[in-house]
Amino acid sequence: MVTIPHTAEGRPARLVTLFGRVDARGSKQAHYIFDGGRPAYAEVVLPADGSLRSLTLQTPAAAWHERELHDQFGIHIVGHPDLRPLIFHENWPEGVHPMVDAVSDVPWSNRSYRFLEVQGEGVAEVGVGPVHAGIIEPGHFRFSVVGDTILHLELRHFYTHKGTEKLFQGRTVADGVMLAESVSGDNCFAHAVCYCQAAETALGICVPQRATAIRLIGLELERLVCHISDLGGLCTDVGFAVAAASATRIKEALLQASAQCCGTRYWRGMSVPGGLRRDFESARVVELVRAVAAASAEFANLTRMILETPSIQNRFEGAGILRSETARDLGIVGPVARASGIDYDVRRDHPYGGYGRQMEVPITHYGDVMARARIRIDEAAISARLIQEAAGALLQGSIFEPAIPARDALGFSAVESPRGELLYWLEVRGGRLARCHVQSPSFQNWPAMSFAVADNIIADFPLINKSFNLSYSGCDR
Amino acid sequence: MIFDVIEQSLRQQPRVIPVEALLGNCQGSRMPEVVADRLTPAIAQKLVEVCPTAAFATEDCGGLRSLRLDYGRCIGCGRCAETGEGAVVAAERFALCGVAKEQIVRRWDIDGHVEIAARAVCADRVRGKIYTLLQRALNIRQLDSGSCNGCETEITALTNPYYDLERFGIHFVASPKHADMLLVTGPVTRNMAAAVKAAYEAVPEPKLVVAVGACGCSGGIFAGSHAIVGAVDAVIPVDGYIPGCPPTPAMLVTGILEVLRRRIAI
Repeated sequence: MVTIPHTAEGRPARLVTLFGRVDARGSKQAHYIFDGGRPAYAEVVLPADGSLRSLTLQTPAAAWHERELHDQFGIHIVGHPDLRPLIFHENWPEGVHPMVDAVSDVPWSNRSYRFLEVQGEGVAEVGVGPVHAGIIEPGHFRFSVVGDTILHLELRHFYTHKGTEKLFQGRTVADGVMLAESVSGDNCFAHAVCYCQAAETALGICVPQRATAIRLIGLELERLVCHISDLGGLCTDVGFAVAAASATRIKEALLQASAQCCGTRYWRGMSVPGGLRRDFESARVVELVRAVAAASAEFANLTRMILETPSIQNRFEGAGILRSETARDLGIVGPVARASGIDYDVRRDHPYGGYGRQMEVPITHYGDVMARARIRIDEAAISARLIQEAAGALLQGSIFEPAIPARDALGFSAVESPRGELLYWLEVRGGRLARCHVQSPSFQNWPAMSFAVADNIIADFPLINKSFNLSYSGCDR
Repeated sequence: MIFDVIEQSLRQQPRVIPVEALLGNCQGSRMPEVVADRLTPAIAQKLVEVCPTAAFATEDCGGLRSLRLDYGRCIGCGRCAETGEGAVVAAERFALCGVAKEQIVRRWDIDGHVEIAARAVCADRVRGKIYTLLQRALNIRQLDSGSCNGCETEITALTNPYYDLERFGIHFVASPKHADMLLVTGPVTRNMAAAVKAAYEAVPEPKLVVAVGACGCSGGIFAGSHAIVGAVDAVIPVDGYIPGCPPTPAMLVTGILEVLRRRIAI
């Protein structure tokens, strides 16, 4: 069993991710990545050909990771409180583990799945999804309620599971970017950059300064767009249509400015291991900065008015509280963690690319919908400022450093995506990807939803869900 | 306060993009356009090699050496334009949105430097026809069959003040039972296959199905995965295809209107 390292303050280190891998000799390995605080992540590798002792009872953050390890690699986890299939549903036959078994023509099966049953007088079950009422991704929520009040929420996800990690295997390092961009479409640039940084570490490439600066602009622009969109979504979910429409307008202006600048609205096809695929003209950068300044000012004005609206305060405040201890136990990351008092941001605590330790990180302790909204508003303002600073200091020069051809290597990288800590771990064998693990913030944060919605009324669920803004595809992969 | 928000909103300039500027517009999608004059067998071979989703293929077409481009597979990565020595450029206009499956593929005679068989032309006067056929009431249900959410973000953009799909009388509805059209995004995953079929069954006749994005049209970058069943048409019948990764809002508008136009023509 793995021993959890400790931080300098004597706390157990946060489990960042846990994944399986088959090494060059064909043996299964389990890789644990911990964050013991500054400066670096710590990786622990255990042989996993037999079984593994579960960590879940010590750190609940391990629960889903261990279930995934069981599903994908057939590694038995001893002492796990709940080893039901996570990734694969009733249609997937028992005993087929895609990361180690042949998966052509897998037969269709009809297994059963047991939801947790809450018993007691007046308890009713409400099932929602996988198809939801709106333009939204699929997932299943099983509520146990008494009247309007939620006693328990059970999540059933992985409807959008596409076998992405397996699809990476055998691709060239350059081809992997396109797959990374399709893990979670609205955060595609963060995924692309994180993947590229992992590949650059593996291949020992030093990215030119200009490319690093443009990547920072792209990453912060993606965060700005996401946070604007989230605030609009929160307004939609409380029926404040005018404010929601204003947010979509501000967002669209930024997407159009991106398309003018780099040819795609979401910066797809920009990042590549070694730097960037295309450069910006100076005039385009000026236009982009102007668009960001305008959007940021408008958004600040809009959100000030939104937060002064009494009916918004009434709905946002006290809804969906995620307690700090729960967030810590589950290893929650990103704006959701920072709204629950966890002072953690990859950009500041594990700096990469153009970021440094002086980064300002907003924190609040209330852990409700309002706290998550405020964190996003503050972060949006900081992102706009970072974009302007980076654009102002943009150096001329090359944007691409070619890789040294094929060799065997390992690399990993973490990025603060708009939803939180995103991590790519990859192994190159003979010039091709032998393994690529994607740790998305959504996978990490989804389990917290059940705790945040307990004791709330079911009608507030869409609002609370939106305030987490988790990606289903990012989680399901 | 709420009145400040409304007042500020009323002070805004109208942002709506005229329909004429939307139809056929593909800016931001990086869809490729082949320049037939510059094609050589060597370039064609290179295009086939660099394409990550096998959208380009060379084939024998009635004795001619031809280059085949399946837009349904294209993810707009732009590699072909980078390596094609001028034989591929980013398209300025793109009309193949909402077309039938066989129309989404184009072929060029490599040695003769011409396109084999003309492509479909996008009609630009569809507005009147939609009003006639639907009395300004087409209800769309968006269905995610396993998408990465890239297509969802662009479909959501259709309701913003720039694209304002409601001006055509087109609405997004919450239930398949209220819908005339299913707009399906993503490859169909194994885990979503049953739900996709159930949603399709729930839509009352007559119904239209549009496959959206490279994944919806062909499986895209996920084609061949053990966890997906395939493109949308592997599970339910599809009336029209909108390529792109993701298709831009302008391409979505073009595609939705084109599916309707074709339906009227039948």
